[in-house]
Amino acid sequence: MPVAPPLAPAGDEAVWAARLAQRDPAALRDMVALHGRALHRLAYRMMGDAHEAEDIVQEALLRLWDHAPTIAARHPVGSQAAARLRLGGWLQRVATNLAIDRLRRTRRLCGGEVPEEEDGAPLADAQIEADERDGLARALVLSLPERQRAAIVLTYFEELPNAEAAEAMDMNIKAFESLLHRARTALRQAFAAQGDAP
Amino acid sequence: MSVNDQDPGAPIEPGSPLARALGDFAVPELPAGFAERVLAAAEVRPAPPPPLRRAVVQRRWRLGQRIAISLASFGALATAAAATGLLQQLAIPVPSAGTVWAAITGTAAAAPSPEARRAAPAAAPSSALVAIEGPVDTPEELGEAFRRLDQVRADRREERRMIIDQRIKSAIERRRAAGLPVPSPEEEARLRARIESELVRREQRADAAMLARRENMQRKVEGGEALTREDIRSRPRVDPQLRETVRELRQLPPAERREAWRRLSPEQLRALMDEVRARRAGAPADPSAPSSDSSPVPAPALQPAPSPAE
Repeated sequence: MPVAPPLAPAGDEAVWAARLAQRDPAALRDMVALHGRALHRLAYRMMGDAHEAEDIVQEALLRLWDHAPTIAARHPVGSQAAARLRLGGWLQRVATNLAIDRLRRTRRLCGGEVPEEEDGAPLADAQIEADERDGLARALVLSLPERQRAAIVLTYFEELPNAEAAEAMDMNIKAFESLLHRARTALRQAFAAQGDAP
Repeated sequence: MSVNDQDPGAPIEPGSPLARALGDFAVPELPAGFAERVLAAAEVRPAPPPPLRRAVVQRRWRLGQRIAISLASFGALATAAAATGLLQQLAIPVPSAGTVWAAITGTAAAAPSPEARRAAPAAAPSSALVAIEGPVDTPEELGEAFRRLDQVRADRREERRMIIDQRIKSAIERRRAAGLPVPSPEEEARLRARIESELVRREQRADAAMLARRENMQRKVEGGEALTREDIRSRPRVDPQLRETVRELRQLPPAERREAWRRLSPEQLRALMDEVRARRAGAPADPSAPSSDSSPVPAPALQPAPSPAE
């Protein structure tokens, strides 16, 4: 189960944002220490590849570095907006979008089709062998379409409430719950196809 | 039966086979120098692009802005089209500002009748009337003379059709009052169509003859010849002597008159027809009323041939 990053007191996130805006390397190092592992878990479970996951985490953190002045300007220290600032959520949203973008780009480059809806057909033999080699769980998660995969990773593995997961995916809660329902259904069907019913 | 059996989209229960399988999805640790790598990348990362000039707050007005720009563009295009006459070419009515204002304020005058609308274009050229002084010796004067003639001809055509319509109605009413069989609507329609076709044929004939005469007159005027009023009239004035002959003819008994009628020359016949037309023009509005003709000869006997309208 994930280890949640330590929650900063209300307003501290704005302090970090202000330090990042001032180009303080120590603040960025704090961000890596605070959110790096969670982001890496998210990215790795989305991509299934450690190098890709590291790239996504690095890119998310660097985007925070880039946007820090804007974020700090919108959330001045001591203001009400500062109390609502959650850099972890911001990073999760960026990492999720980056992972989905990369998966879509890979799908386009490969020319293969990742089904948006669940596919009850059993996997091909070669795919089964590859999945067995990489582990059943990994194969199950990676068999999902990218958005369903993100929903499962955020809610099941990262244990985010539906509202926060929906926010991380830029969706409204109803649409996210529908997506999550389809993701679980597809996951169960894929698991059943592996020969072991839930 | 578990919840999951009923709903495959239900949350994954802890301890279920699926949860145990997913739990095996181990994630490797971040490499040791990851933080330094990120810091190094941040140092060499190019500066972010400057913020957009458009403030974020203004984003919500983008749609309104686009709608306003679209409306303004459409208005400009429509104004340009109306100003260049494009809408008129496409037969799209363009109301004047006064009409629009009258419609808004409810002070719009009653819509002009179709007759008035038809008369309006005819009245328009009157502003550019050419005065005809003396004989017609310029193309402008000749054109003005033709225009006046056309106007008179158009009025006559309308009047002719109205008279025909009135006569048909009167005849039907007379027959109905007398208890005689009246034509059915289909028969009446056929009669009207036949009359109309005859009228059209007659007008085409007259138009063709008139066109030839007008071309001849135009050639004369362009050649420097002056045309008198009599030259432009479609028919030469009836000889007074011939008119006297006709008057005498009317006073003959019917049998003798018919015999004399057959002996008349074409010019005399034409004069007779002119006389009939002149009498008709002066006739009372109700053609069904008994003729108060002062002529001692009954009119029907003098009519050379029934008009298609009759």
